[in-house]
Amino acid sequence: MKTITLRVSRFDPAADAEPHFEEYIVQVNEGARVLHALHAVRDEHDPTLAYRYCCGSGQCGSCAVQVDGKPVLACMEEARDGMTVEPLALPVLKDLMIDLEPVIAKIARICPAPDAALPAREEIEAIKPFRDCIECLCCVSACPALQVTDFAGPTVLRQEMRLALDPRDSGDRITDAIEKGLFYCTTCKRCVEVCPKEIDIPGKAIEKLREIANRRGLTLPRHQEVARLVQETGRSVERTQPTFLEQVPEVIEPDGPVRGEVGFFVGCMFNGRVPQTALDAMEVMKRNGIRVIVPHDQVCCGSPLIRTGQTSFIDDLKKRNIEAFASRGIKTVMTICAGCGATLKNDYETPFTVKDVTEILTEYGIELPSKLDVRATYHDPCHLLRGQGISEQPRELLRLGVREFVEMPTQCCGAGGGVRSGVPEEAKALGAKRDECVKGTGADVVVTVCPFCEFHIADCTDVPVKNLTTILLEGYRKKDAERKGSA
Amino acid sequence: MVLYNAPTNKMHVDEIVDAHVLVVGSGGAGVRAAIEASRYGGVVMVSKTIAGKGGCTTMAEGGYNAVLRDRDSVDVHREDTLSGGAYLNDPALVDALVREAPERMADLVRWGAVFDVTEDREVAQRPFGGQRFPRTCYAGDRTGHEMIMTLLDRLDATDTHLYQEVSVVDFVKDENGAVAGAIALDRDGDVVLFRSDATVLATGGGTQVYDISTNSAAGTGDGFAMAYRAGAELIDMEMVQFHPTGAVYPYDARGRLVTEAVRGEGGILLNARRERFMERYDPDRMELSTRDVVARAIATEVLEGRGTNRGGVYLDVTHLSAETIETRLPVMLEQFLAYGVDIRREPMEVAPTAHHIMGGLRITPECRTTIPGLFACGEVAGGVHGANRLGGNALAETQVFGKRAGEFAGKAPARSGRIDPARIDEVTRMLGGFYEGAISPADVRKDLKLTMWNQAGIFRSAPDLRTALGHVRRLADKRLCAASTVNLLECCTVRNMCTTASLIVRCALLRPENRGAHVRRDADVATEPATSPFSHTYVSLAREGIERREVAA
Repeated sequence: MKTITLRVSRFDPAADAEPHFEEYIVQVNEGARVLHALHAVRDEHDPTLAYRYCCGSGQCGSCAVQVDGKPVLACMEEARDGMTVEPLALPVLKDLMIDLEPVIAKIARICPAPDAALPAREEIEAIKPFRDCIECLCCVSACPALQVTDFAGPTVLRQEMRLALDPRDSGDRITDAIEKGLFYCTTCKRCVEVCPKEIDIPGKAIEKLREIANRRGLTLPRHQEVARLVQETGRSVERTQPTFLEQVPEVIEPDGPVRGEVGFFVGCMFNGRVPQTALDAMEVMKRNGIRVIVPHDQVCCGSPLIRTGQTSFIDDLKKRNIEAFASRGIKTVMTICAGCGATLKNDYETPFTVKDVTEILTEYGIELPSKLDVRATYHDPCHLLRGQGISEQPRELLRLGVREFVEMPTQCCGAGGGVRSGVPEEAKALGAKRDECVKGTGADVVVTVCPFCEFHIADCTDVPVKNLTTILLEGYRKKDAERKGSA
Repeated sequence: MVLYNAPTNKMHVDEIVDAHVLVVGSGGAGVRAAIEASRYGGVVMVSKTIAGKGGCTTMAEGGYNAVLRDRDSVDVHREDTLSGGAYLNDPALVDALVREAPERMADLVRWGAVFDVTEDREVAQRPFGGQRFPRTCYAGDRTGHEMIMTLLDRLDATDTHLYQEVSVVDFVKDENGAVAGAIALDRDGDVVLFRSDATVLATGGGTQVYDISTNSAAGTGDGFAMAYRAGAELIDMEMVQFHPTGAVYPYDARGRLVTEAVRGEGGILLNARRERFMERYDPDRMELSTRDVVARAIATEVLEGRGTNRGGVYLDVTHLSAETIETRLPVMLEQFLAYGVDIRREPMEVAPTAHHIMGGLRITPECRTTIPGLFACGEVAGGVHGANRLGGNALAETQVFGKRAGEFAGKAPARSGRIDPARIDEVTRMLGGFYEGAISPADVRKDLKLTMWNQAGIFRSAPDLRTALGHVRRLADKRLCAASTVNLLECCTVRNMCTTASLIVRCALLRPENRGAHVRRDADVATEPATSPFSHTYVSLAREGIERREVAA
């Protein structure tokens, strides 16, 4: 037995205006789960504590709660000393019990055709991953789109895809999915992160439903414009200024001895909209002895098309990009755009390794910059954090570059999944939430490593937003100025 | 600490709901019954949990037995079921089970169930213990979950009214003594009266009365207890299946089911000396022997000192490919990983766990109980599985008998609608009494579970059983205390657990032989299953005993 302390959110609508926390000290067995700690609170302290549970083995989805802010199944998550237990972010009936019936009611039911026969094996295999869902609603609790839109929720869209795949179903799943918010998903993958069954709803359901919608001509007009642009120009961003590729040679040699060599996959945002950031990044590479090869025949990675379900000519883009780097014998391709990086890593099969700039810089080790005299916070790009599993490297670099680093809660800024162009009011509302978080940290600057996030957050806050490589470059310039001053 | 301060309020009925058919329970049997009964209109289903999240169907992993291939036959399925049940089964019920299981499987497939299929587009089947043909249909190792999700889809297409998180406390009767509805508590502790022409009891099992159990928190035997109090007769309540393979650690996860599919897919059992000990207990069928045999074998290995330090044996699938484990046993893989064990690389540790109650309400093949107006199906009914249930027969039972109960309840004539008011007073008085109780239901529950595990578990004897009965009766007499309206339900549940436990122990004392899952170390009569002179034990408010039967010499 061991003793743990936990804080539990209590709320009785008959007596309380709002929820409050109570602290309890309980005895639990080694290996006890959160559920067992709640049992101990109920049995030893307060029999009126309200919470749901049933199977105790992760199969029924009754007991989902938030532990330290993350939705989990109470019966599977190990109890920790000092943990905080709250209900899911849904309307609360009492204490930890939420009203899950309205959400479950949105999950579509199969409408079997009268002559429905057993599906074939491949069809069954395609449907099965979607059937693992236990409707615990962790994903609904965690989804940022739900905070600002009437999106029905990730699992609701999961079910639409499950039904779309079933030859026995006679319903119109695409119309249904669009009504339930198919285009609201930013593909941030927070739902996958909290899903006890690890169902990839954005990748396997939402993007695929968008593909079917696309084949039926139901893609949003703004998304169709992007696809037309890519098809015509190879780029998802219109040329309004000299592009990055127009400003750099194919090979950018470092200042000092060559410590390494990478190919650079630029991406449309850096190439066309914020080329200066990419140019800054090249300065950082030069300073750190890394030769950068920039094939000029590279094109859009296809991410804006995959995320919005417009995949008809995606194979051509992949082929051109792989050829551009492979033909030059490049072994490692660097991305600075989180979206491109996640796409090359997850949607491509490449003969080369793909690494984010923060991976490259931490692996080689960098020359220390002078610390900028600012308090900085870091925004995790979804496609870097969850798309590529990278969270520590950018923080490590940022700590080298600024006087003070403060964390802020991680959440999608709204610029992924085609939402900024397709549903701008949603992106704006999510951006405003980021602004609140930024203000909460009291930071002088928001640092990130994704041009979509950088561009969008800058639109939503008056605190300056900068790329991590820009911060490093400014640190080097400060260092040079200090040297000059002391010389 | 006690927040409720209004014990002076006389409990009263807050809401009245009328139904033609009232279905109590939302597992596989209850939902199937409601779907069928809805053809006759006026169905109300009452669920103690959120529908689909309660009960044991949702948790059932392994499969559903049905004869689907030409090489198999219902006669073989019947004989496997009878032989596995030590010939204590009611043959008419077995007949219905094996004949109709395939049709009910076809219903599920037609309604959208995602069972695994073969290359030839047939429902896939795998071998399960005690069966001579691999006839267990499955959806990975989440078969029951697949079924319940499909059934709820279908239920949604009917006009059934669903009351969720409403718990039936007791039945009410009309002036002729027929069941005419039920009294229930909703989430807030308000009293709801349901009036019905026919009532289907489908509350599932109750092995939560044991300290180590696979059942969900809802498996507290409410249906056995409520039906007993209403005067129904129950049979073979001593027949409790101990599943051979439950998790051993961590302590709070003890008893969690490790599906038979693990052995069906080729898992082997080893003792601490790494001996494949099933060779000594059933050399022909080995790990795929019947559950009673495997459970006793494991218990014996542990009792005789050949178990692991944690009191279990090893169940090993490391010789299977990682892909087989990932696709056929994903839930097992995930659950063990959560506790730090990768079953692709290391063996599981397992020990027996209370899993299923074979006994239950005495029913006819039309699911009629011994009281008019009350039908029963699923685990709460007795007689289908005899003295030992074959893995895969329970899910089939839910569908075959759920459909039957729904049909015959649906066809039941309309009643007067009158209800004996004294009964309502009695129940509300009982509920009100919980505010004046003194003992925590949690303490009684814990004591009861340990008593049942230690004195009425796998190996039994008359002195132990008598000790258990005395203790259970003392616990049943304790005046339970409800801290607030929402705790009334917990008091009712613990009261039901005490009743169910006493039924198990009483029947265990009535059967002097070793039969299937029931092992009396002090048995003074040696019997062979097929020729035993004993048939069902029975117990009701009016009588108890054991039936004798004529056996051909």
